[in-house]
Amino acid sequence: MKKPDLKKLKEVDFKKAARDFVYGKPHGERRLGDLYIPKTGLYKHREWRGIKDTMYYFNHIWLYNYGMIVRDLMVYGGGPKGMIQFLKGTWRYRWMGQTYLTVMHWFDRCLEGMRGETLAASAWHFRGIVSACLYQITGFFNRDLNIGGDPELRAKTIGTDETVWGGVIYPYMDQGGYYLPTQMIPYFVTCHCNNHTVLNYIDAVQAYGLPGDPCPMCQAEAGIYIEDDVPDSYVAMVTTNEACDSSVGTSVIQDWMMNKPLFAMPQVMQFDDDSVLENCAKEIEMAWRFMEEHTGLEFHWEELKKHIELQNKQNQFEREKWDVAANTHSYPINGVAQALYRIFYSQYGERPFWHDVDKKVRKIMEKCVNEDINTFPMTRHRVIAWSCAPLYYSAWCTWAYNCWGLNTIINMDSLMFDLDIRTDTYENCLLDIAKYHEWAPMRRMAVGGLQHIFELWENMEKFNCDMVMMYDQLQCKGMQGVVGLFEDEFRARNIHAIWMPHALPDKRTVPRSQIRQIINDYMFTVMGEEPLDPSLLDFDDSDSW
Amino acid sequence: MRDLKHLIYFEDLLQEANNELVRKGKEDGNLCLGYTCYFMPEVLLDLPGCFAVRLRAPRCTSPDMASYYMSGRTCHYGRSLLERALEGGFNFIDAQLATETCTVTCRFQEHLDYMDDVINNATFKTSFTDVPFKKNENSIDHYRKQLKIKVLDFLAKEYGVDTSDEAILKAIKINNEVNDIITEIGNFRKLDNPTITGYEFSVITLVSMVCPKYLIVDKLRETLEELKTREPDDKPNYKIKVLLAGSENDDPDFVKLIEGCGALVVADRHCYGSLEARQHIDIKEGEDPLTAVARHYLLTSQCARFMEQKEMRHRKKVLADYAKEYKADGIIVESNKFCEYWSFERMIDTIVLPRDFGYPVCSIEKEYINTASGQLRTRFQAFVESVELKKIQEGK
Repeated sequence: MKKPDLKKLKEVDFKKAARDFVYGKPHGERRLGDLYIPKTGLYKHREWRGIKDTMYYFNHIWLYNYGMIVRDLMVYGGGPKGMIQFLKGTWRYRWMGQTYLTVMHWFDRCLEGMRGETLAASAWHFRGIVSACLYQITGFFNRDLNIGGDPELRAKTIGTDETVWGGVIYPYMDQGGYYLPTQMIPYFVTCHCNNHTVLNYIDAVQAYGLPGDPCPMCQAEAGIYIEDDVPDSYVAMVTTNEACDSSVGTSVIQDWMMNKPLFAMPQVMQFDDDSVLENCAKEIEMAWRFMEEHTGLEFHWEELKKHIELQNKQNQFEREKWDVAANTHSYPINGVAQALYRIFYSQYGERPFWHDVDKKVRKIMEKCVNEDINTFPMTRHRVIAWSCAPLYYSAWCTWAYNCWGLNTIINMDSLMFDLDIRTDTYENCLLDIAKYHEWAPMRRMAVGGLQHIFELWENMEKFNCDMVMMYDQLQCKGMQGVVGLFEDEFRARNIHAIWMPHALPDKRTVPRSQIRQIINDYMFTVMGEEPLDPSLLDFDDSDSW
Repeated sequence: MRDLKHLIYFEDLLQEANNELVRKGKEDGNLCLGYTCYFMPEVLLDLPGCFAVRLRAPRCTSPDMASYYMSGRTCHYGRSLLERALEGGFNFIDAQLATETCTVTCRFQEHLDYMDDVINNATFKTSFTDVPFKKNENSIDHYRKQLKIKVLDFLAKEYGVDTSDEAILKAIKINNEVNDIITEIGNFRKLDNPTITGYEFSVITLVSMVCPKYLIVDKLRETLEELKTREPDDKPNYKIKVLLAGSENDDPDFVKLIEGCGALVVADRHCYGSLEARQHIDIKEGEDPLTAVARHYLLTSQCARFMEQKEMRHRKKVLADYAKEYKADGIIVESNKFCEYWSFERMIDTIVLPRDFGYPVCSIEKEYINTASGQLRTRFQAFVESVELKKIQEGK
């Protein structure tokens, strides 16, 4: 038997080792990059966060969410039949088959290095997102005629383009009216969980002759239709021009490929302009009449009002969160959780699971504020992320905090839809819904007018940010069309901005490693700073989910 | 065929945006109003005391400064316009009547609005009009209101332009005169052996869009008279006839390139084409002129941004009908690189037009200026050969 190296043993600081075991290693000593198996992005072993947080992660995040996934499938799916439909759907649809196992790895990536209240509050946001996804997935599969779904449920279901606000279904929800954003799950969510999934759809549409330069999000959306990978779960479709010219093009493909009644509910191109609201309001009313015609449902004003008021509450809480984020160091939600949760619920519309999450998060946030907890203690820079984010690397915020202390306080997507809709009269409500559409993503701040894109400056000030992570979506014509003006303004205002090139869902254009390299280069050469965790500077996750 | 008397003069007018007639129009004391898109009704910019100029950036092959502002990944047309503006080439325009109809041209116009020093003209201002995506009554009503606020009221308030119904009627009259002349000239393309080439027609159409109409109309009329007696060549020097459809194209040399490969361009349904832009504007009984203008420009357009289900489907049939009317053997669908509307539309056209209407389609992605493109030439030659072979096999 080999003798223990006493000299080495003497060098071990047992006190510190015990402290690290109990509380986890302090930031800077964690070497999180060493945990990865090269290329895969998978862990050799799980991160030890100290006894309390490791147990919390294992019990309240891993086990809890696995359990809740099964629970959601049973509850939303309507019992065992729903589970059978889920299995059939997983077998039938590529996007489902490739994604269901990767969900918890998505949690891992986004919550890496988080501790205490930050870990808990961020994880609750993910729980909300997953619950919403399962609500939609069971909604898809229970109605899907391709896999023996229920035609009666399908008859009350409207499919929509992903960027149609879920509130269009509010007036019909008490009658079983159902809304399915047809690309949100098949493309948007799956891309976050497993970034390989959408590549097939992008290739499919390009094989039909579409050039490679239009927005890759729209390419993926169109590819899903071309591959016949959209469940037949709805009687008619409502589409929109939101967010950009490519979205209009996608509608054309959708129409030709699915051959169902389709209503175009285009949004106006101007902002904060009362002269355009009337047109928008009329189009929304026409969309309701279209939905009624094809589903036989009736418009219930009280039902609309009820959901709008609940939605307003969500919005009000969001503002409270922003207030904490802007003015304290006690905001317990990391950049990726903040961004995804906000865009999910504001786009999908009011549902009970969001309120459950908000209650939990409120409690955690109030604790943080009351006890003055510094939730991101290693923050070196307060970052605002602007323009549209890389879907295949939404976890960059987590990486940037762990590696460099770049704390993403707020992002552009979160700031849209910031409107309380009036419910005093139908007319006011309708006008506000029209305005809500004007403020939709990305109309307000990416493809929209210049004055709104440049809301960046006032938001930097409002959220006390000292750095901009400027997303450079290479195929977004709206943002590409103003890059020079941003450069000029950054220089004139002496703002540190890192341009992060990406191609939304298509990781092949700018790999994750290149994104990290760009941030690393800026931090070393321009900021003259050293990383908090050098093991995260460079690692190979090219084949990872 | 005998050369057209004014062709070289017309070609000269297209060499720069601030051409001889534009300068003359300004010397006459008129306001020069720029625009880029069909959805900004040129007729409203031709009100008394004004004239419309559809912006072009001829001979702009390398928009370097604009690529700094708009990156190299946006439509070459939008960038070329910004380049020309940054060079000082658009200082002659007194106002830009802008539309948010496609992202990149909108961005170009926003630069004019945002950067105070781009247009060196003290009177310069911009106004943006919201253009609907549908053709229903709500859309026409909205469009009319937008035109009233963003065009007429803007011109009246900022420049003191007379925007009364009588003034609009006068503008419609001069526009209709030009529209009718161009349409009549275009009808010669329907002949079995056309007496005008696609290139010549493209030049004629373009000059009507970039010069004050009152200064160009006489020469257009003279050209029409000349064409009435023009004899075609005994032996046609083309192999097939094609319809050119697609996105922005204000480069007659692109048409020349196609025709150099043996395909006579007999119909033009693209952003600077005549089939929509030069239709007669009718005023229904009891209709006010502004409503007539709004209705006309919405209903005549077959732009790829219309998204009603029936419109998305109908415009394929419209293309096929045009091809039949103009006796085209095939259809070339072009889109500018980075044009998103037409990237999708072109892809669908390439599938639907041969399948449902029997027209062979050549699908082309191009730049703003294409004269020297050997690759395009090869594509067109191959298309011409394939259609020719098909015709031979069918015994035509």
